Amino acid sequence: MATQVDISSNGTGRVASPGFWSGVWQNHAPGYLFLLPWLVGFLGLTIGPILTSLYLSFTDFDLLTAPDWVGTDNYVRMFTNDPKFAASMRVTFVFVIFSVPLKLAFALGVALLLNRGMKGLPLYRALFYLPSLLGASVAIAILWRQIFAGNGLVNQFLANFGIEGPSWISNPNYSLWTLIILAIWQFGSPMIIFLAGLRQIPQDMYEAASLDGAGKWRQFWKITLPMLTPVVFFNAIIQTIEAFKSFTPSFIISAGTGGPINSTLFYTLNLYNEAFGFFRMGYASALAWVLLAIVALFTAFSFLTSKYWVHYDD
Amino acid sequence: MTIRLGRRQFLMGSSALLAAGAAGFGPAFAQAAGLRQFFWGGQARADRTYAVNDLFAAAKGTSVDSSFLGWGDYWPKLATETAGGNAPDIVQMDYRYIVEYAKRNAIAPLDDYVGGALKLDGFDQDQLEGGKVDGALYGISLGANSVAQLVNLAAFEEAGIEPPNRDTTYDDIRAMGEAFNAANVRGGIKVIADGSGSEPMLDNWLRQKGLALYTADGKLGFGADEAIEWFALWKGFRDDGICVDAETQALDTNGPLETTMVVLGKSAMMPSNSNQLVAFQTLMTDPLTITNYPRIAPGVGGGHYRKPSMFFSVGGSSGNKELAAEYLSFFVNDLEAAKVLGVERGIPCVSSVREAIAPDLNDQDQIALNFVANLGDLLGPLPPPPPAAAGEIDASLLRVLSQEVAFGARSPEDAGQYFVTEAAAILERAA
Amino acid sequence: MTTDAERLTVVTATSPGRRRLFSVIAHVLLIGVSIIMLYPLLWLLAASFRPENEIFTSGVSIMPSVNWSFDSYFRGWNGLRIGFGQLFINSFVISALSVIGNLIACSLAAYAFARLEFAGRRFWFAMMLMTLMLPYQVTLIPQYVLFLNLGWVNTILPLVVPKFLAADAFFIFLMVQFFRGIPRELDEAARMDGAGPWRIYWKIMLPLSTPVLATAAIFTFIWTWDDFFGPLIYLSDLRQYTVMLGLRTFTDNTGMSDYGGMFAMSVLSLVPIFVFFLLFQRLLIEGIATTGMKR
Repeated sequence: MATQVDISSNGTGRVASPGFWSGVWQNHAPGYLFLLPWLVGFLGLTIGPILTSLYLSFTDFDLLTAPDWVGTDNYVRMFTNDPKFAASMRVTFVFVIFSVPLKLAFALGVALLLNRGMKGLPLYRALFYLPSLLGASVAIAILWRQIFAGNGLVNQFLANFGIEGPSWISNPNYSLWTLIILAIWQFGSPMIIFLAGLRQIPQDMYEAASLDGAGKWRQFWKITLPMLTPVVFFNAIIQTIEAFKSFTPSFIISAGTGGPINSTLFYTLNLYNEAFGFFRMGYASALAWVLLAIVALFTAFSFLTSKYWVHYDD
Repeated sequence: MTIRLGRRQFLMGSSALLAAGAAGFGPAFAQAAGLRQFFWGGQARADRTYAVNDLFAAAKGTSVDSSFLGWGDYWPKLATETAGGNAPDIVQMDYRYIVEYAKRNAIAPLDDYVGGALKLDGFDQDQLEGGKVDGALYGISLGANSVAQLVNLAAFEEAGIEPPNRDTTYDDIRAMGEAFNAANVRGGIKVIADGSGSEPMLDNWLRQKGLALYTADGKLGFGADEAIEWFALWKGFRDDGICVDAETQALDTNGPLETTMVVLGKSAMMPSNSNQLVAFQTLMTDPLTITNYPRIAPGVGGGHYRKPSMFFSVGGSSGNKELAAEYLSFFVNDLEAAKVLGVERGIPCVSSVREAIAPDLNDQDQIALNFVANLGDLLGPLPPPPPAAAGEIDASLLRVLSQEVAFGARSPEDAGQYFVTEAAAILERAA
Repeated sequence: MTTDAERLTVVTATSPGRRRLFSVIAHVLLIGVSIIMLYPLLWLLAASFRPENEIFTSGVSIMPSVNWSFDSYFRGWNGLRIGFGQLFINSFVISALSVIGNLIACSLAAYAFARLEFAGRRFWFAMMLMTLMLPYQVTLIPQYVLFLNLGWVNTILPLVVPKFLAADAFFIFLMVQFFRGIPRELDEAARMDGAGPWRIYWKIMLPLSTPVLATAAIFTFIWTWDDFFGPLIYLSDLRQYTVMLGLRTFTDNTGMSDYGGMFAMSVLSLVPIFVFFLLFQRLLIEGIATTGMKR
């Protein structure tokens, strides 16, 4: 951190050393000026609702009347007397653990493939991004059921090999996997980000390495991957956070039920039902803050360990 | 610093700022002179409602600013607006939520307007009662409907089996099911969907036994024995192939019509509502009809009741309550309006209105109308509005338990016992 | 070293035949995966031309129905009283404004986090990340009340103004990671020439960041286009509805739905975002070539 008054760092070329306060101003003002829009938004629009939701987590709030302070009751109930909470935790963790690595692997793999500059690159890139455009719409839900139901496409395909598949989407043992597959199928977003990252690696680094006699593999390991680590880090963190907060796929495909037998009850779906279905917004707020704590811990841990493998140019 | 979300502060602050902001950023149309309305439904209902609003505007000179959403989106938005003190003047209400909203004063009592702005002569008494909470009138029923089995006539014909009629009992269903299995048509279609998770079906079954889902004071109206018997009945059906199996029934996500058993072609009949016949028929080429829920034994009735399909209520914080009451009156009494509305929201509750629209109804609407009008001995008394936690018990308990029994994760005995104890706990917590 | 070079030359010098084989395999693989990617869209397309009562009885078939017609498109377009064209305009306005807002505000904030030193930087960065972690369902009501008190409800302001205030922490974080990948030497060279932070930002950072800016533009446009929850809560007037919100009114679980119309309009709603994607993806292709860089 810049604690000394460093005239050259703000590049004004002033020679004489100003007083202490204007030194402080010169050091910190540029940062804060650039940050101003975000700060205004954060302090004006964001922090109020966030703190309010923290307050609400200690209340019983049924949306229609004023909140009622209940202290830590919500948190106690969550951990001792709510089977749906436990179920939703389990479902969400399984979802995160499987969908995030697989999605990133596909995204990176396809990005590398497409980065070779092969024929038809723009077309393929658009095609692979298409599922992400479709989002999680009612149309996708209908189609997903058609594909993964008892006599759906997948089972018709398996029947060719004599395998009689269960109704994947309506069997509690497999239903979560249809959602995991849906998440992986929409790998377009991290793929685009990987592509952007790959494209930002200066070409002359590869040229220099080729001149030095390094082959494709060496170039990949020594140039591509290290230069890509900031982007890998970004995608890993973001995809994990998003996976923890994942709501719309389960909401649409299970029509908000999280079924069958709570097998697709994502954490935020449970939260949504508690808030708007059962008029327990206070409890839902408590659920949200527990999620935030878990995700924050994970993120902090990732940032702390990132110095061991993420390579920044600064 | 405690941020108390006092309602009065919101109302005062928001109305002041809204007025100030309306000039600069507000919407382009004038809000002060009209009414705001919010309802759930699809495009078909919206068209009819807007047409009625136009009629109202022509008759009374008050414009109605109306918006709508699908059922699933409607409730979060209404709750959000209500929480913010910004609820509309006219809201569409459901039997399930009217107690919740009434008790919290989110909707206004209408008794003061009856006879004045709100004319209810000739209104069906039971429909009127249905809109009362703790003796005060909170919602005007927009139509009556009844639970009904949706029947795929083509499937029955193909299997060579007589479709069910007024006297069909659960034992008859069993016999039909066996016949269906023997006939093995349409890829092994079963006669009936798995109704163990259907709250209306359970309710109907209990009422025939002289019990009820919930008592007037908000307690469970039956015990573990009945619960066990219910789950065991359906387990028997499932094991013998009378109803669809666990995985198939789980495709029904209790919402979208396209996930239901009849539309998917998995069963020849399923529990539904009388006013949904038209909606289902548009999705299928096979001819459909409706019939009553099965009797538990020959001659036993009283399971059905004519439920208010939906209400219009007046927002608790509305500044135009009297005007809104006039609108409600117009909506349910005016003959021109009734012709436009038809039976899309249910069978009209005023007999003169019913007579006026009867000649113009199409075939399916006629079937629905006749069904509800001629329930006869199937008809029982209107139950009290369900307690606040009924929605949670239905979604989190009944459905989940029925699926657990279906997939073999729990025995009927276990499920029945668990249901009763958990339901009592949920009701306790919500009280 | 020579052994390595020999080995490496063997590895890198593939025969034209092998290269073509590899290329063919790659293409076959890509085409296969593309079909999987495309299939749902083809199904959607086919369903939009089917009559209503055949939609759910045709299973997964992508073959058009014999009774195919444009009915769903006409019905869908005119379904809502105001005609879908207005909805497309509304969606476009909101999405375009959001893109502009995000690009400006998020890049400013990202530059501050990535390149500038100031007291509390780490703290604000952590706060920024925290805003990503809280599910929106619980800040929904307090935020609604806030906007209600500002008088912004029933306008597009709650949807657009936060973008100009960098509320999308996702893009701030994304740009931070990209900015940190740009070599500091460039900054320092500019500083030697007397450039201040603004000039460095404007003349060096932004031009070198076209891939990430293009990414941000694409994502912002598509995500705001696809978002229905924000418009659901803040827009009540049908004339202001966005496309996604309008689509949701086509299906109602309690009564009549117009699936055909919904599918038809869904297909149409893909067109603008796909076009936007195609236009902006060229900027993703162009990488940066930093000339004269000696490491």
